[in-house]
Amino acid sequence: MDIKNVFQAKDVPEAINLLDQYGEAAKVIAGGTDIIIALRENHVKVSVLVDISSIKELKEIKTSDDWVEMGAAVTFTEVMDYFKGHKEYSGLIEAASLVGSPQIRNAATIGGNICNASPAADFVPPLLALDAVLTVEGKEGKREVRLEDFLLDKGRVDLNKGELLTTIKFIRLRKGQTVTFSKLGLRKALAISRLSTAVYLEIDDDEKCAEVRVASGSIGKHGLRERVAEESLKGKNLDKAAIDEASKVLSNEVEKRLAGRSSCEFKKDAVEGIFLKAVEKAMVHNGDGSYCAMGTQYYPRAAGKE
Amino acid sequence: MKTINVKINGENYTREINEDMRLLDFIRDELKLYGTKEGCGEGECGACTVIMDGVTVNSCMVMAFQANNKEILTIEGMEDEKGLHPIQQAFLDEGAVQCGFCIPGMVLSAKALLDKNPKPSRKEIKEGISGNLCRCTGYNKIVDSIEKASQYLEGEDQ
Ligand SMILES: Cc1cc2nc3c(=O)[nH]c(=O)nc-3n(C[C@H](O)[C@H](O)[C@H](O)COP(=O)(O)OP(=O)(O)OC[C@H]3O[C@@H](n4cnc5c(N)ncnc54)[C@H](O)[C@@H]3O)c2cc1C
Ligand code: FES
Ligand code: FES
Repeated sequence: MDIKNVFQAKDVPEAINLLDQYGEAAKVIAGGTDIIIALRENHVKVSVLVDISSIKELKEIKTSDDWVEMGAAVTFTEVMDYFKGHKEYSGLIEAASLVGSPQIRNAATIGGNICNASPAADFVPPLLALDAVLTVEGKEGKREVRLEDFLLDKGRVDLNKGELLTTIKFIRLRKGQTVTFSKLGLRKALAISRLSTAVYLEIDDDEKCAEVRVASGSIGKHGLRERVAEESLKGKNLDKAAIDEASKVLSNEVEKRLAGRSSCEFKKDAVEGIFLKAVEKAMVHNGDGSYCAMGTQYYPRAAGKE
Repeated sequence: MKTINVKINGENYTREINEDMRLLDFIRDELKLYGTKEGCGEGECGACTVIMDGVTVNSCMVMAFQANNKEILTIEGMEDEKGLHPIQQAFLDEGAVQCGFCIPGMVLSAKALLDKNPKPSRKEIKEGISGNLCRCTGYNKIVDSIEKASQYLEGEDQ
């Protein structure tokens, strides 16, 4: 570590000015849980650190009529506290609660999770399933970019020199809509996710799957939308056959993607189970063979349909 | 060099620090508060746990300059003029301390947990200390002491 200059930015303009002034020599530090290790192991070599973890406006979560907007420096603990009790957002709560340990969740930020761009970043799949939109700010102004387009490669995101990720927003969930998350492995503190899926599901008044978005973690260079699984489910009655079919389609897709890798055999099977779990979580069995999206009111299944 | 102001265990400090210093190094090497331990140095073990602005963090995962204008509690700040903190007393009463290396971090994680949730279940206690590794005790006695501490604190409140 060869750090010469450090700044605790008070607001976004100050952070942007510093990033602009120091260019390639500078990096943002938020919770520090990825970058401090990288600096100590010399994987990242910069001489200037700009701390954004004390910028108040980046630590807010706001729900408006149409959007939920979260500041980039919001921690996982803050995500869990904010959405607590809102079952429709269980995928966000669960993904946050599975990150590291309490100490890590108290420091680690959602912006850092995205910008670090690990294939195993836990918060990325649920945000992809919510089709999140990011705001990036730099000297030249603001721009919006979809999370899916922001992730370029393992460890690489669409941030130009001097730019800061400031907010992450998604359309507020309504009745019949829910996002869920399922991760493989024991619920063990500090186990970095090996494989996960997140599902966004919207059920219409006819009990059909009106909209669905599926995303995965650790089965590609970064978190990915799994469109074949989405296409397989969309418009269908959410019965066992339709869900099983979608999980097979996803498994085949993963097999194609990972062909030749030692992890392929395992992951193509594991993804099926993990996907089924995420879909199941999005539905509540009503005891009479009918399902409803979790966190919403009872959705009666039209008589005679099963 | 960079100047920072930090409140540690109720006392204000203004100090010059090296830019590349971690909060853990600042606490141990500058302030000579040796109760905060370095185990792994990578956020895994929790031996370096401190409470910063009300929440536990691994001080090996925080740069010292980031602690500017923050309020920090280390294990040294748990005791007051009346003696040990009830959580510390509970650890002794239950015989939960063996080599002691993990204990400062355990006690601070227990405090953060009990501040937020005064009557945790055993499961919640285990979750609360899941970022603190212990090589000696097998955790049961530590969980017992946090249950006992919860009772001690309840008694104090009455
Ligand atoms: C013990 C341990 C366990 C962990 N377990 C998990 C786990 O289970 N799941 C998981 O997903 N992760 C895990 N992590 C990884 C890490 O905690 C997360 O990725 C975390 O979200 C990173 O956030 P941060 O604020 O600490 O990022 P930092 O380390 O501060 O920054 C990470 C990177 O992002 C950049 N950056 C940060 N914020 C911004 C911004 N707003 N704009 C532009 N660039 C930015 C930084 O420059 C840096 O390159 C673990 C880490 C540790 C040490
Ligand atoms: S020394 Fe900080 S977590 Fe191990
Ligand atoms: S008592 Fe020795 S590590 Fe916990």
